[in-house]
Amino acid sequence: MSATRPPDPNGRASWVDWLERRINLSEIFSFLTHFGFVITPVDTSRPVREVLREVAETPVPKYASGPRVLGLLTAILFALEAVTGVLLAYYYKPTPEAAFESTRTIVRDLPAGWFLHQMHAWGAWLLAAVVVIRLLRLFWDGLYRAPREVLWWTAVAMVWLVLQLDFTGRLLTWDAHSYWATVRGMEVVFALPIAGPILAFLLGGRVVNDDVLIRFYALHVMVLPTFYAACVYFTFATLRRVGLSPAPEGRPEATTTFRDHLYTMLMLTVGLFGVLVTLATVLPFRFLSAADPYVTPGGVRPPWYMLAPYATLQWLPVPAWL
Amino acid sequence: MSAPRERAAPATGEPATRRRFLTWLSRAFLGLWGLGAAGVVGAYLRAPEHREKVAGHLVSAGLLDDFKIGEGRLVRHGVSPFYVVRLDAERVVALSAVCTHVRCIVDFDRERRVLVCPCHDGRFDLAGNVLSGPPPRALPTYAVSVRAGEIFVHL
Amino acid sequence: MTATRSAPAIEHAGGGRRGALAPGLLPLPALASLAAGLLLLPALALAQPGNPNPDASAPTAVSPGSGRCGVCHPTERVQFEKSQHAEEGVRCTSCHGGNDRSLEVASAHGAGFRGRPARKDVPALCASCHSSEARMRPYNLPVDQHALYQTSGHGRLLARGDTRVAVCSDCHGAHDILPPKDPASRTFTLNIPRTCGACHGDSTLMKQRGKPDVFRLYMGSVHARELYDRGNLRAPTCVSCHGVHGAAPPALGDVDKVCGQCHTAERRYFMAGGHYRARSGDDGPECASCHEAHTVQAAQPERLAGSCAQCHAKDAKTLALGRRIWTDYHSAADEVEKAAALTARADAVPLQTDDYRARIEEARTYLREALPAAHAVQEDVVAGFTTRARSMGHEVQSEIYGKLGHLRQRKFVLILFWFYLLLTLLVLKRYRDQGARKGSPDRP
Repeated sequence: MSATRPPDPNGRASWVDWLERRINLSEIFSFLTHFGFVITPVDTSRPVREVLREVAETPVPKYASGPRVLGLLTAILFALEAVTGVLLAYYYKPTPEAAFESTRTIVRDLPAGWFLHQMHAWGAWLLAAVVVIRLLRLFWDGLYRAPREVLWWTAVAMVWLVLQLDFTGRLLTWDAHSYWATVRGMEVVFALPIAGPILAFLLGGRVVNDDVLIRFYALHVMVLPTFYAACVYFTFATLRRVGLSPAPEGRPEATTTFRDHLYTMLMLTVGLFGVLVTLATVLPFRFLSAADPYVTPGGVRPPWYMLAPYATLQWLPVPAWL
Repeated sequence: MSAPRERAAPATGEPATRRRFLTWLSRAFLGLWGLGAAGVVGAYLRAPEHREKVAGHLVSAGLLDDFKIGEGRLVRHGVSPFYVVRLDAERVVALSAVCTHVRCIVDFDRERRVLVCPCHDGRFDLAGNVLSGPPPRALPTYAVSVRAGEIFVHL
Repeated sequence: MTATRSAPAIEHAGGGRRGALAPGLLPLPALASLAAGLLLLPALALAQPGNPNPDASAPTAVSPGSGRCGVCHPTERVQFEKSQHAEEGVRCTSCHGGNDRSLEVASAHGAGFRGRPARKDVPALCASCHSSEARMRPYNLPVDQHALYQTSGHGRLLARGDTRVAVCSDCHGAHDILPPKDPASRTFTLNIPRTCGACHGDSTLMKQRGKPDVFRLYMGSVHARELYDRGNLRAPTCVSCHGVHGAAPPALGDVDKVCGQCHTAERRYFMAGGHYRARSGDDGPECASCHEAHTVQAAQPERLAGSCAQCHAKDAKTLALGRRIWTDYHSAADEVEKAAALTARADAVPLQTDDYRARIEEARTYLREALPAAHAVQEDVVAGFTTRARSMGHEVQSEIYGKLGHLRQRKFVLILFWFYLLLTLLVLKRYRDQGARKGSPDRP
């Protein structure tokens, strides 16, 4: 967040100047702009402080408010999930024997482990809600028309990816509820015509065992997050091309500076963090005992986002040969 | 930075220092977030070897000189309590204190030098073998080493 | 070879047709005898004596154990072949006498033939080998069974000429004697109650004798439940209390010794208690007074009132003692179980509970000791264990509640955290507004 720090008011020689004499900081900074996070192009021949000032004063539409904030939240929450996820992965062991034990070690025995675990779980919950609401809002406001198709399809892909991340991540704790929720979820997935058998092949079989666990792990920590990051990049890059979604009708487009926008975003992040900490502390996700493939606990149902396809399949006359 | 404040209007030198102090204070305040995050992550990432583990592999059972010859002592260690018995001047044995029958905690009979389960009168000798009674298996024994007068049991 | 050849011969004896395929395997003399045998066998199968057999020495129907007896006695032969005796080289003639190399009834049932031994002679017959130290030494079998049998209820009645009592063959079988470790054996642990029950569960016979149907009583006991429902082969059967060959009801004063074989701790406390001291001679309270002799039951509160009232009906204070001990035990057990339930709750949080589990195990050990201690029928003896169990349960409970209380502290910290967070938001807002104010007018 050094980009957001206001330049030293007294014009004293600071570490930025010292570093500037050795490296072209503006060029490093421009990587960010190329990646799409900054609205304006950057002149890399000028010192970074001027560049930052210029960027900070760039007028931008006020988009950290209203329904536009949903897009920001998908990025912020994903960053949170990435950080906590990496920390959890340091101690997690993806084998049926050790999965539950290692998760319990993280949650019970490691200092702050419970906090990271609950933050990860609640973050995932919020992220799933946010991407779904965002998709609904894009649809509702008709924001899938040209030239915004890329944004629309990216949003669809993000919903799908988040649901898959949630589905694969749920199994990893390997406690009784998560295991049986996955078993039932898999049944729903495999009952799909055509896609079902293909997925069964990709996921390593219809039986939830150690093969499936390690594939879920690989998907959860490597494949799906990579695709999600790509989606975030596509979103930012396309936004630079086609601009933000238009302001609601009848209201003038409020403009602000980029600095203002960054602070608002920071405040949003802090607020979100507070909400997550509250949820993690007050309503922690509970563990059952370790999963036993031969004992089904009562009250297990597919995760909530699986209910729609589940209900559909109950009604659809799927031909038996599929 | 010259933007005037309603309350800091009159003075010239004082507001500047106060503003600087305020700036410093708020920066320190924000810095606490970084400190907190570093603390949490650091505590979490500290390698597990440095922590005391409940199922530790090497358990101290006290000083050898504190044991009289023939004395047996129950060491309460997690879910695997064990007896440490000093046989003579040097030899010390360690046996599980959990009866192999229905998991009662056995007693040490010093006169007869046997371990007696209070529940069903299962008896074990100091090598762990079943002498009589219902226990189906021998008691597990643990390796013992004496270092600098202190008894360590390898679980 | 002879053993394999005997198989088709048996089928002929039974009138089977498949034997007709077999002759190709047999040497010529055998074929000849078979041809003769085919004609004669239906007659032989009816065991008609006096059939002349011209080829009696041909070894077609012999086997090492049963010789040629099986030609006429196929059922007995099949039973006998499976038995331990056949395996050890005992022959039909060892018990029945006669000549097992002859197919001629006259000579087979000739010199020294005993036929079916009379019931009163059976023990002596078996003892002719089983009491011989020389013969039993290789098998490391005891030789005192016959002597023991003579001391048993069965043996004493038999000596008095009552033959309607169990002799060796009633429990061990006649031809199909198997070692007791064989699950098919009548004397295998699981089969013993039924073996004894063949007579002791026969209500008409027992009524004649004026005895209760103890088989049915036993099947209702905790011992039978342990044996059959839980498959515990260490659970006591008839012979565990009555003896094996010297089976007899224990004397009144010996009941606690019999039960004490397994219930050592109970007996120790019983002997230290008032009930034991109150005994005069063979009269007085013993195990079966409260637990029944065959329908052995654990003491239950609803049974306590009845069994105590047998003797203490007039003494209300003593009558209530059993219930008081019981209540004391259960309140302690409740405390320990509450602690265990709380441990499960702490596990779900999850908290580290290994130490609590260890202490709950220890408390349960005290509780298990309290049950034998109740046989001393003294409140303070039982309380020595229940108090310890109860206090350990209390301790664990309060410690877990303490830890769960730390979780509540978490929520208090959360409130502080929100103060800090709101302050942070204020600081950030101040930064933003400052930047907006200075950004627009001053800077180019």
